[in-house]
Amino acid sequence: MKNKKMISIVLGAMCFALTLGICVQIKTVKGSNSIAGESNRENNELRAEVLKYKEKYDNQYKELEKAEKQLEKERQNSTQNNSDLEKKEEAITQGNKIIGMTEVTGPGVIVTLSDSKRDASTALNASDLIVHDLDVLSVINELKNAGAEAISINDQRIVPTTSISCGGNIININGEKVGAPFVIKAIGLPEQLAALSRQGGYLEILKEASVGVELKKSNNITIPKYTGVINYKYAQNVK
Amino acid sequence: MIGIAILIGCLFGAILGMNAPMISYTYSSYLAIAVIAALDSVFGGITSVIRKNFDLKIFITGFFGNAILSILLTILGQKLNVDIYLAAIVVFVGRMFTNLAIIRRYYVDKWSERLKEKNKSQTEEIQK
Repeated sequence: MKNKKMISIVLGAMCFALTLGICVQIKTVKGSNSIAGESNRENNELRAEVLKYKEKYDNQYKELEKAEKQLEKERQNSTQNNSDLEKKEEAITQGNKIIGMTEVTGPGVIVTLSDSKRDASTALNASDLIVHDLDVLSVINELKNAGAEAISINDQRIVPTTSISCGGNIININGEKVGAPFVIKAIGLPEQLAALSRQGGYLEILKEASVGVELKKSNNITIPKYTGVINYKYAQNVK
Repeated sequence: MIGIAILIGCLFGAILGMNAPMISYTYSSYLAIAVIAALDSVFGGITSVIRKNFDLKIFITGFFGNAILSILLTILGQKLNVDIYLAAIVVFVGRMFTNLAIIRRYYVDKWSERLKEKNKSQTEEIQK
């Protein structure tokens, strides 16, 4: 009898170890990308970490948004019955709108730049077929020249500190990676902004290089606010 | 009693395994080979029970010894840049098939004998 008890305990422990091992293994294999070989495992781990941080950032950002909304409400409540403060509050909102810290909506144009659909092997210079950072920069410049008040590229708001730089097959805007097709939204007088497609304009040059260019007027464009933080460390106010 | 112990062990192992944290991908190959070795030991144990020469001590040492040895061999293979774990898998899986064949033969024999007896008794009844 004692022997039998011993056997059952040992067998139970063994089955425990075996199923534990199998389950952990299945979970691990399922969790990690099985197609990516072992040489990619470090890559995968890093990617998972990046994703984790991104999620954390998103959560924090949501919290910040909530806090900002509350702040605005508090500000409105406290300035309601004071005309002096109300004026200052208005000035703050106006300033936020100008530097791109608030969502704005209005009439304008949507310019879509996409890579050429032509086969790259038939082109004299394959580099001409894709949209470069300088192309985007030139289009932004023309939009500003035409009186655009607020501009965004794939939902990245253009603010005074925005930089547009090449990042391989993507473009870095506001430090975020943005890929083609580039949807550039601009708020301003639509007729004036639509002059971008004039003869000799930059869009015409892009079109000749067989890059996909589309310009659309719209009466209702919403441009998101800048998601980063503008932090001036060196510029001091002049007294 | 033994069946209950096995069931409880499996259940707890599965629950804990599902909730356990994911291990690093580096170590998953070691765990895989250990699992294969343990499975081989289990099949060997069942075979020895059928042959009526089951020894608990041999079973336990085989279970853990095989697993540890295969892990060590895998590590050595990685250090030497030779896929030794393939050899371990071939041996273990081959043994598993042999053991499974023995188990299968034993139960098929038992089943056919029982059928024969049933037929015999039925014919005897008819003769009566």
